Amino acid sequence: MQTTNCILAGIHAEGRFLRIAKLSTCASLGRWLTWAAVFGGGWWGSGTAAAQAERPVDFQRDVRPLLSEYCFACHGPDEATREADLRLDVAAAAYEDRGGQAAVVPGNPDESLLIERIEADDPDLRMPPPASAKDLTDEQRNVLRRWIAGGGAFEQHWAFRAPERPPLPAAASDPWVRNPIDAFVLDRLRKQGMAPSPRAAPRTLLRRLSLDLIGLPPEPETMASALASSDEEEAYRASLDHLLGSVHFGERWGRWWLDAARYADSDGFEKDKPRQVWFYRDWVIDALNRDLPYNEFVVQQIAGDLLDGAGQRERVATGFLRNSMQNEEGGVDPEQFRMEAMYDRMDAIGKAVLGLTIQCSQCHSHKYDPLQHREYYALFAYLNNCHESFATVYTAEEQAQREQVLAEIKQIEDQIKQERSDWSAQLEQWVQRERGRRAADWQSLRLAFDDNSIGGQKMLRQADGSYLCQSYAPTLFAPWGVAISPLDQISAVRLEMLTDPNLPHGGPGRSTDGTAALTEFKLQVAPADQPDAWRDVEWALATADGNPPEQELAAQYDDRSGRRRVTGPIGFAIDGDDTTAWGTDLGPGRRNVPRHAVFQLAEPLTGASGSRLRVTLVQRHGGWNSDDNMTNSIGRFRVSVTDRANAVADPIPASTRALFEIPAEQRTEEQTAALFTAWRTTVPDLKEKNRLIEQAWQRHPAGHSQLVVQERHVVRPTYRLERGDFLKPAEQVQPGVPSFLHPLPHDAGTNRLAFAQWLVDARSPTTARAVVNRIWQAYFGRGIVDTPDDFGLQGSPPTHPELLDWLAVELMEHGWSLKHIHRLIAESATYQQSSVGSPEQLAEDPDNRWLARGPRVRVDAEIVRDVALSASGLLNPEVGGPSVYPPAPAFLFEPPVSYGPKTWKHQSDAESYRRAIYTFRFRSVPYPMLQTFDGPTGEVACVRRPQSNTPLQALVTLNEPLFVECARSLARITCLQAGADPGARLQFAFERCLNRPPSAEEQRVLLSLIADEEQRFAAQPDAAWKLLNVPEVQRPELPAELTPANLAAWTVAARVILNLDEMITKE
Amino acid sequence: MNCHDPLYRTVPPHALARRWFVRDCGIGLGAIALADLMGRQASASAPADPLAPRPAHFPAKAKHVIVLFMAGAPSQLELFDNKPQLAKFDGTLPPPELLEGYRAAFINPSSKLLGPKFKFARHGASGAELSELLPELAKVVDDIAIVRSLHTDAFNHAPAQILMNTGNMVFGRPSMGAWALYGLGSEAKDLPGFVVFSSGKKGPSGGNACWGSGFLPTVYQGVQFRSGGDPVLYLSNPEGIDPGLQRRSLDAINQINRLHFEAKRDQEIETRINAFEMAFRMQTAAPELMDLTGETAETLAMYGAEPGKASFANNCLLARRLVERGVRFVQLYHEAWDQHGNLVADLKKNCQDTDRASAALLADLKQRGLLDETLVIWGGEFGRTPMVQGGNDGRDHHPNAFTMWLAGGGIKPGLTVGETDELGFNATVDRYHVRDLHATILHLLGLDHQRLSYRFQGLDMRLTGVEPAFLMDKILA
Repeated sequence: MQTTNCILAGIHAEGRFLRIAKLSTCASLGRWLTWAAVFGGGWWGSGTAAAQAERPVDFQRDVRPLLSEYCFACHGPDEATREADLRLDVAAAAYEDRGGQAAVVPGNPDESLLIERIEADDPDLRMPPPASAKDLTDEQRNVLRRWIAGGGAFEQHWAFRAPERPPLPAAASDPWVRNPIDAFVLDRLRKQGMAPSPRAAPRTLLRRLSLDLIGLPPEPETMASALASSDEEEAYRASLDHLLGSVHFGERWGRWWLDAARYADSDGFEKDKPRQVWFYRDWVIDALNRDLPYNEFVVQQIAGDLLDGAGQRERVATGFLRNSMQNEEGGVDPEQFRMEAMYDRMDAIGKAVLGLTIQCSQCHSHKYDPLQHREYYALFAYLNNCHESFATVYTAEEQAQREQVLAEIKQIEDQIKQERSDWSAQLEQWVQRERGRRAADWQSLRLAFDDNSIGGQKMLRQADGSYLCQSYAPTLFAPWGVAISPLDQISAVRLEMLTDPNLPHGGPGRSTDGTAALTEFKLQVAPADQPDAWRDVEWALATADGNPPEQELAAQYDDRSGRRRVTGPIGFAIDGDDTTAWGTDLGPGRRNVPRHAVFQLAEPLTGASGSRLRVTLVQRHGGWNSDDNMTNSIGRFRVSVTDRANAVADPIPASTRALFEIPAEQRTEEQTAALFTAWRTTVPDLKEKNRLIEQAWQRHPAGHSQLVVQERHVVRPTYRLERGDFLKPAEQVQPGVPSFLHPLPHDAGTNRLAFAQWLVDARSPTTARAVVNRIWQAYFGRGIVDTPDDFGLQGSPPTHPELLDWLAVELMEHGWSLKHIHRLIAESATYQQSSVGSPEQLAEDPDNRWLARGPRVRVDAEIVRDVALSASGLLNPEVGGPSVYPPAPAFLFEPPVSYGPKTWKHQSDAESYRRAIYTFRFRSVPYPMLQTFDGPTGEVACVRRPQSNTPLQALVTLNEPLFVECARSLARITCLQAGADPGARLQFAFERCLNRPPSAEEQRVLLSLIADEEQRFAAQPDAAWKLLNVPEVQRPELPAELTPANLAAWTVAARVILNLDEMITKE
Repeated sequence: MNCHDPLYRTVPPHALARRWFVRDCGIGLGAIALADLMGRQASASAPADPLAPRPAHFPAKAKHVIVLFMAGAPSQLELFDNKPQLAKFDGTLPPPELLEGYRAAFINPSSKLLGPKFKFARHGASGAELSELLPELAKVVDDIAIVRSLHTDAFNHAPAQILMNTGNMVFGRPSMGAWALYGLGSEAKDLPGFVVFSSGKKGPSGGNACWGSGFLPTVYQGVQFRSGGDPVLYLSNPEGIDPGLQRRSLDAINQINRLHFEAKRDQEIETRINAFEMAFRMQTAAPELMDLTGETAETLAMYGAEPGKASFANNCLLARRLVERGVRFVQLYHEAWDQHGNLVADLKKNCQDTDRASAALLADLKQRGLLDETLVIWGGEFGRTPMVQGGNDGRDHHPNAFTMWLAGGGIKPGLTVGETDELGFNATVDRYHVRDLHATILHLLGLDHQRLSYRFQGLDMRLTGVEPAFLMDKILA
């Protein structure tokens, strides 16, 4: 009785309140009941009930979904909300003796508390509690009763067991079967009493295959030659080979992966600034084209930088993690949004790789799946040790050029060595001489920054006394901070600009090049006893370790003042002129290194101990638009003071100076080379050689930036966070994996690489299943599991569980080759069926769950556009490169539509006609055409796009300028290439657009339209020219047989064809 | 498909009871329950229009919602929440215990207090206190309910705007307008059911996600209208295509699509034919909506609207016209209220830009008998600090207390509820969280916020999330 009371006691006042609050998330069950009652009458009430009752209860199929839906929210994995200390997701707990009674007594439903409570009439006893708005039907109760009567056995959830290759069903011997996929599908169909559809017509099939594999329709010539083949099967196989090898395969399937990778070209949130991540996009395209095994594909994206011999390619792959959004609006706490990014990474890995909703456990233990709150943070810990880094990357051509420059420099340096046989001894003398020179002692200042002067930027103090600037980056500001003087006498002040992995290209600035400009450097002093009596300090001299020549600011820093603004040598920082600044930019290849300057006081401060020093870093060399990437400010800096007289900047980089302490015989080759480089610049005789080397540097390519992750040297501790709040750390957590998934290998490390390898371990129950399911979904419009992001207890059960497992094992056993899976699907009879459903099929299986017909699905947003470009002959098939700006309404990128003014630099027709995967993606202002056709914005990982069918889509294909241009182009090539015969022309246009000839009825409709419109246009030629978009002054001579009216009428027809449902549908 | 989804409540049950369901189909009883709860988009089996009007959970008080979203966060201390004590302590530091655990975006929380910059007076029969900056609102103050005790979780603009719109500061959730459309459908035949306008200095910080559909089907997302030019993108016919030719082209498209439907029997083709037809109707309906020349001079003057001009005033008038045409949810963003500095001058300007039109919207709806069925909400994403920023003319972001007003369908008019402490720092009496506001909006639309859910990633997701949400019952009529 004690136990009963305990369970009852779960409903004390507060408990009930909590339960209602939590359970009500599942409120739609109420509606389910209505329907269940409808079905109940006609289904269980009739003769079928008896037959049904004899069917043995299956735990996976019948029982666990009920327990999960009705019980686990309060009696499941989450200990925080568990009621009455009872859990029903674990056998031992359900069987546990609770003072004479157990929730489940195997074989004995009448003794089982579970049955007692679900059958109770008393609303205070009844489960689920009436207030939860959940209720079991009689039949559901009966299922639970029969389950316990039959032994009440628990089984592991199907998706948490590693897949094993199932035996082929007997249907495998059927002649319809082309490969094992068909055997499983046919087996299922037979059980449904259904039969497969006939093979689709060759034209339909080739178009389907082409749209699926490369996202473009077949060229008419390709189609013609395939149709001309006497062996239909052979022609299909040849097309398949061709398409799998096409460079466009990686574009079509790259976009498929980029959805899950939440790829976009901007930061998101308010400023939504452009970012450079297209190297990652191109890496995905390339990896899929070369069929990089899926396990390596995943490992490189999570931890490519940690692989042995990792090069640019592997580091770029980690852009996957960095695709998270970043909030740089004024005043944000960078740590808060770093944590948001971390949650996003976990979510993306959960959806894209594991097929699990792990983000539920960010705040608390999972309600349904056995993932504990603490285990979530153990996974999190693997990812938590990264710099949010920016790599400098080069295209192949740039890389070649860079190598050439470096070789040239080495050649000159080798020449020096040849010409000076005693270089080694001279170098050593220099080292000893420099070593003996005592450097000044510098004391760093601890600065308290003025809130208003920093303009929303956060200055984060680092262990070395420097300040890292993060969050919002102002473009024109003069931040100041106050320090208490640590010295009694101050003769000079040193400003170091330091590099940091968390700055663009590593810094030291925050500009997109990682550079900065210092307009003025100011010091004021106030005595300790008169803290507001500020006095300006005069400078006598400024020296720096880098003094670039005077140059005008680049266009991206335009402040719209019209003034000539320059950067140059250090003197510009003390000249009192706010149009001149000290720059750190010594050009590509050498701009992202630490720099420092030393400012000597005209009169040393004496008796300064305890006085207040006010340091102002005037930075007025950024651009006008602080919502875009126009900043040119310092990214990390340290300010120090010395009492030593005549201190000057050290021309030798600190990293080289550190090498002085290493005895010659212990230096590595690189260390000697670094010393040599520093030494040769000090030798007067080498002036010419040094000049040649400087010249060579000028040819170094600038490269590009790519967001990547980079492992930190000092491990960042991870804590479990209460309610996922970064301000509420609980206990510290070590890296580890959840106990319900496969274990780590014994020798596994604790870093990101170990985690990445664990994700793709062959024992992983969900990794291979999740990816084959998503491939299947792309072909058939729905996955074998309909919830691609949730293979957990609340997910949909697979329609073809054996097929799913067979494909998963097949993937792993074929070296994780994704193309192997593509080939298997494309070669199956299942895929090759006609998509036209018979009325019976449509009535019986409207959603085509059992696959008695082929897929008929509207193509994805990008393909909607690509198909139009391709059919009209406009497509620019160039692969890869920076994202492009096809025409878009300008007002979208201006306030008050966009938060800040955004750059949309449409440049040329050629880039308008690139495939849509290359369209620049602002998260806050999605490209309208793509958004209208359900393209994801990249705010979160998306593993299944919605499919809408709306009037706004019709407006796009009818009126969007690019689609209209496609109509013009299609008409033009049709009229010029297909002769004068209207029938032949129509055939030509149809072949290009739909890969088939028009039917007689279609011909009738279109030819009559064309004839009518030609007459109308003939009467008003200006309207014709308008439609053809040719201004009066440019009207060309048309070929004799082609009148403007005729061409315009054909443009109307082309527009009609491009707007047909079939145009954007895979049939 | 999801037959338990409110979307399909109009589908006859026999059409849903399919043979596969009663057979040994490999999916057990529990699984069927689950599968059918899965949020799915309209599929071949569900040609039902996802935007067709649907009955509410219970009789609704409001059929339409107009949100005047004062983005950037207006200062409640200058507009609605009169704090004489704050004036008294101007220039002093706030009590340290108030600041425990408090984070501010820009300022050191321990900054000096700043007294209110404008005078307050009582207005109307209700005697509501309003700032001198809101003379027009003062005239209709007996029609509104002022709530001075809102609080939120976020204090940066983008996350707070996303929270105010979607109930969560993380991106990816549906906005309240999308939820309303999902729950009720739209009565607008020729216009989108959820329309958004933007005026002011900037666009909203949350971008398109403020009116996004999140994990709901994309048909429910808000459609942004422009005050000038084509109100909807790609609404105008291309050069050289007149309405007649557009019609004849559509006829040809539809004819061929219909032939195709007969051959392929896929309902999606029919849906597309309907979509093209509605697009054509929208090409007439939207410009007609935008054309204010038919409004009387009195009406234009009342709002301060000028035909053809892009302004908040025009947008208010357009909101009334949208509601008249059955549009369910209208949002007018006016991002101009982020007064870190220049508080006095900017507030004057912002109120000049918005006060008259906001009040006119209420009066106009009322005189046309529309206010009873239209819920109007005014407010921003958070409030502003009682502490000063930047000399003595600015305030920082403040999540602990801010003011909104509500009016119309189902709202008790002429009252002020909620209190803050004497410095206006924390909401103290009748505290309402954003999710309480959301529960209330849905309630007025006849929707139970606990029942309006959508299955996503194994959970029945709701606008109000998992934390308890309470109706703001003090302001319910």
